[in-house]
Order: sequence, then structure tokens, then C-alpha cells
Amino acid sequence: MNRGLARERRILNIAALVLAAMAMAPFLWLLQMSFKTNAQIFTFPPELFFAPTLENYAALWETDFRRSFVNSLVVSTAATVLPMLLGVPAAYALSRWQARAAGSISLWILASRMAPPIAFTIPYFLAYRHLGLIDTWAGLVLIYLTFNLSLVIWMMRPFFDQLPQALEEAAWIDGATTAQGFFRIVLPLAAPGLAATAILCFLFAWNDFFFALILTRTEAMTAPVAVVNFMNYEGWEWGRIAAGGTMVMLPVLVFSLLVRRYLVHGLTGGAVKG
Amino acid sequence: MTAHRPQAGFERAKARFFMLCLAPSLAVLALVTLAPALFLVVSSLTPLDLTRPDTVGDFSRPLENYRLMMADGRLANSVWVQAKLSFWTVLLQLLIGFGLALLLNSRTRFLEALRTVFLIPMVLPPIVVAIIWKVIYTPDISPMHWALASLGFEVPSLITDPGWALTAIIIADTWQWFPFTMLMTLAALQMMPQELIDAAKVDGATAWQMTWHVTLPFLKGVLLVAGLFRLIDSIKAFPLIFILTDGGPGSVTEVTNYYSFQQAFNFSLLGYSSAITTVLLAASVLISWAIIRSIGWGHRE
Repeated sequence: MNRGLARERRILNIAALVLAAMAMAPFLWLLQMSFKTNAQIFTFPPELFFAPTLENYAALWETDFRRSFVNSLVVSTAATVLPMLLGVPAAYALSRWQARAAGSISLWILASRMAPPIAFTIPYFLAYRHLGLIDTWAGLVLIYLTFNLSLVIWMMRPFFDQLPQALEEAAWIDGATTAQGFFRIVLPLAAPGLAATAILCFLFAWNDFFFALILTRTEAMTAPVAVVNFMNYEGWEWGRIAAGGTMVMLPVLVFSLLVRRYLVHGLTGGAVKG
Repeated sequence: MTAHRPQAGFERAKARFFMLCLAPSLAVLALVTLAPALFLVVSSLTPLDLTRPDTVGDFSRPLENYRLMMADGRLANSVWVQAKLSFWTVLLQLLIGFGLALLLNSRTRFLEALRTVFLIPMVLPPIVVAIIWKVIYTPDISPMHWALASLGFEVPSLITDPGWALTAIIIADTWQWFPFTMLMTLAALQMMPQELIDAAKVDGATAWQMTWHVTLPFLKGVLLVAGLFRLIDSIKAFPLIFILTDGGPGSVTEVTNYYSFQQAFNFSLLGYSSAITTVLLAASVLISWAIIRSIGWGHRE
């Protein structure tokens, strides 16, 4: 590589670094706010070096936010396990069975990914009022199936497509049933796909704001809705809002960077291989 | 062919197993997606208002809601706001995503690490993104307002200023979603055949000519798909508007989705809202169809 090219590369690297810093700044600002006292939050010019305090987090944990956080954990876990149990075998069947039926089912799945959430919210809201499912864990888990079941099917099918069918056929010849071939041979080989899909399911359920806003009140309120309530009812507790926001985003950040290879695939319903 | 009969039995058992795998999912999917969609269309034919019990199941004037929509100036305004929001966010996200993808398209460890950093806005919970921008747009605690003030610009809060509120939403939405178009473009760039690049180099193409005549035509398809996906998602815009402006000031940031939400859950006019939502649903199915047409999704590779 000649010197001119190396210099050009260096300039481009610096440009990329500056842009990354700019893109990160809004996010870092919220993070540092959560470790400041309310007085410090209103101090400008901002102190670059300050003694971080955990008082926002401590105060937050004394409120109903704790229960909302637990609600979020429970609901997101259930909204991961249930679609996985239903969707993984379905994805396997679609991968190995007739491709013709698979095509039209895929269309249906994409359409349910595209539908505006309010299209589901109105009928669910009306039905839940009759069924007594407003403000319950079960009500949220059920409506999260609308996106997570489709997600599992479209994420897992390509994983099964990649596994050669010869593997199961060998097992069948040795006398294994189709079910045994699936559980003992195929599933263990698809483990990385299963992990990535489960994480994405958890994230989508965890991130939901709209459904929880309309279908919960107090008992089943999830963490994102609880954080927003700090804005509406308790004045502008900026420190607490920042701490709550940080607690909502931390698990998401860790998990999603683990599965970043599959993010595009999960978001586009398999339209693009990331 | 002595093995013929047990073979046929096995085929039957296999079909039964696949059916058993598929049926529960399809039944649940029908129950949780198709049934509600049908219910939505049905309730759009009634004047359903939860504060007036007599409106439940009143099909005497089934197309009344759709007729009202035609004459609703606030609805027309919301479609215009939606068009502006969609146009600017999709355009900016495509430009920024494409530019960054070109900048980062190199297999050095430094750039690979930076790519991960650029993903962060997209993977944050939408509600956290909204809180972040609420902070930035609130003058008392905003580093942006402080920086502008120290440069001598006293700017009013963007989200309460009718001339700026929509722009404020567009900026926040662009920040949240440029990583998506960037990721899709990067994925496509990595599939660009080396011969194409080499041939252009042999012909003595400059970097600009290369981008314009080689890279851009190659990426046309993926940029179109990325744009369509963002277009559909922009129709669903909710948390940013809910937290930052609540549709205001006045109705300058009230997109159709948000107007429908307010009709249903602030004014209890669920029948009317169902009619608006039915039209929105039809629009998003139409765009999905365009996506399927442009990429042939659903077919096996």
C-alpha cells in the first residue's frame, strides 16, 4: 500500500470515529444523567468529572417501578417460551414439507409483521374488556404472540433449510421415527439459531410500549410504561427518568449486541440475509 | 420392491408428524391475527362508542364512518403530516445509511468495532429513544440548547414550536433508524462481486464515478427494499410522537396512526377509529405486496 492510500485510510478512519461519537452522544448523555443528582442535571456548563451517585436508582427501586420491572421480565419470558414451543416445529415442517403451501404462509407472516399495531389493539382491547384480560400478564403474552410467533417461524426456517436432510434420512434408515429425528438430530444442530431467535423474541416483547400502554393499568404495567409515568404524574423527576430508562435499555443493549448478526434478518422477516 | 409397503407407511407417519408440527401454530396464528383483523373491519361498520352502549352492533348505516372520513379535515391533515414525515425520514435514512455503509465497508478490525457502535440507536427500546430526545429538546437540561446558547443562539424548545416540531421528530426518527439502512447496505456491499470493482478500476474510474456508475446501480434493489421497510414502519410511528409532542402543537405532528389512536382511546370513538385503521391496514398490505414483488420473498432460494 502506498503512502497516499494509507493517509486517505487514516482520514476516513478519523471521520468514521467522529461520526460514531456524534451518533453515540445522545445515548451517553442519558446514561451520565442517571448518575447525577437533580441539581447537577440542571447545572451548565456540565461537569465532565463528577462523583457518580446511585441515589436515582435507589429511589426508583422504592417505587412501583420494581413491580413493573418484574412484570416485564415475566411477560417477556413467557412471550419467548410460548412462541418458541409453537413456532419451532412449524418452521421445521415448513422447511421440510411442500414448498407450495410454505409460500402462501410466508406471505401471511410478512403481512402480520407489517400491520400497524393499532389494527390489533382495537379488537384486543374490546375482547379483553369482556374476557377480563385487561391489565393481566396473560393478556400481554397473548397479544405478543401476534409478532413473536411469526418471528420464530421466519427466523427458524432458514436455519432448518441449511441443515442437510440427509442427516435425518440416515436416522430414519436406522429405524428412528420422524419425531426422534427432529428432537435428537435436527434440534441440537439448530441450537445457535434457537438461541438467537429466543433472544430476539425476548427483545421485541421487552421493547413493546404501545400494547402495554393500552392494555395494562397498574397490576401488569411493564417497565417502559412505568418510566413514562414518571413524566406524567410525579413532576419532572429527570434523574429517576434517566435511571429508569437506563434500566430498561441495559438488558436490551447486552442481548442485542450478542445477536447483531441476525438483527437485520429478524427485522425484515428474512427479506435480507444480514 | 419388497420395501414398498413399509415405505408408504413411513411416508404417512412423516406427513402426520409434519401436520402435527404445523397445525397448532397455524391455528394460533389465525386466532391472534386473522380473527382480530376481521373483527376490526366489522367494527368499522358500526358507530361504536364505548360511552354509548346502544352503538354496539348497530349496523344500520354501515358506511357512515367512511363517509365521515371523507369530510374530516383533521384526518386529511394527518395524512399530509404522515406524508411529510415518511418522505423526509426515509430519504434521510437512506442517504445517511448509504454514506456510512460506504465509509465502513472495509474489513479492518477498527471499522468492524465501529459498526457495532453505530447499531446502538436502532437496538435501544423505542421508549428510551423518545426519552433521550425529550431531554435534548427540553431547554433547561439540554446540552444542545446550552451549546447553542453559548454560541449566542437562544433557541426556543423545538417540540413546542409549530414551525419546528415535525422537524424535531424527523431528526429523532432518523437518528433511531439510520443503522437499519446502513446494515442492509453493508450486507449488500459485501456481496458485490470483486470482478465488478476490478473492471471499473482497470477502466480508470475515479472514486466518484465508481460510486455513481458501479456501486449505486448494484445497490438499487436493496436500497428500494430498505426504503419500503422504513416507509411501512414510518406509518406506525408512535412512541416518539407520544412522548415528544403528543401530536401537537395544535396538530402539526399528528400522523394518521396517532389520530386514530386518539379517536379510539381518548375520545372512545372505536368505530370511527376502526375505519381509519382499516384503511391504514390496507395501505400497509399494499406496501408489503410491493416488497414481495420487488424481492420475491416467500420463495425458496
